Amino acid sequence: MKIVGVCACTVGIAHTYIAQEKLENAAKKAGYEIHVETQGTIGRENELSPEAIAAADVVILAVDVKVAGRERFEGKRIIQVPTEVAIKSPSKLLEKAKEVVQQQAV
Amino acid sequence: MDISTVIDPKIIKTNMEAASKEEALQQLSQLLYTNEYLTDQAAFLKDVYEREAVGQTGIGNYIAIPHGKSAHVKEIGVAIGVLKEEIPWETLDGKGVKGIILFAVGDDTEGAQKHLKLLSLFARKLGNDEVTAALLKAKEPQQVIEAFQG
Repeated sequence: MKIVGVCACTVGIAHTYIAQEKLENAAKKAGYEIHVETQGTIGRENELSPEAIAAADVVILAVDVKVAGRERFEGKRIIQVPTEVAIKSPSKLLEKAKEVVQQQAV
Repeated sequence: MDISTVIDPKIIKTNMEAASKEEALQQLSQLLYTNEYLTDQAAFLKDVYEREAVGQTGIGNYIAIPHGKSAHVKEIGVAIGVLKEEIPWETLDGKGVKGIILFAVGDDTEGAQKHLKLLSLFARKLGNDEVTAALLKAKEPQQVIEAFQG
């Protein structure tokens, strides 16, 4: 499964990056491809390319604030959760993503 | 980039004794103030508590990441406290907290890009279970620094 994501927390210095790390590690463990953009105090990092977005099966938005450039994901399957969820149970979140992808594939 | 340069051994407290979140934050912000990271300790603490009110900073596994983005921060820094005993805190997994990482970030983010970048790399490490486990075992500042070098 190919996943792209955006992490953005309120203050933008901690949860944003911890969520990114957690999601990346969980995806690695599950054997999924993942690409996570962060929108924090230092701005956008690891920005998602249009190709990556197009190829993705699902978009995970782990955000507590508005996502910059949300139009990029129009038409994609999106799962939006608070950054807490990505930090607390990244594997469960990815499982949910898998379900969403499988359901809608039918 | 060597992340351990973000960590200043002068603002690390191991074997810390505190009975509550308030005591712990008081001690850690005192460390920051004494070492010239803050212009106003009480005002900085107010900003930290404002963030506490917005959402949980206990990220699970006995780690908390309180932070203040504040006009009263002179230098960007991270105070780290490793407590002797667990204290109550609002956490994602319901456990208590033994490792506290208090981030102090100033308002002028444009001038601080390099620092903030290092800080973001440092924050990422906190998402890594091995790093946090090593952090919680640290008995002296050097061991805390080593936990992040792994």
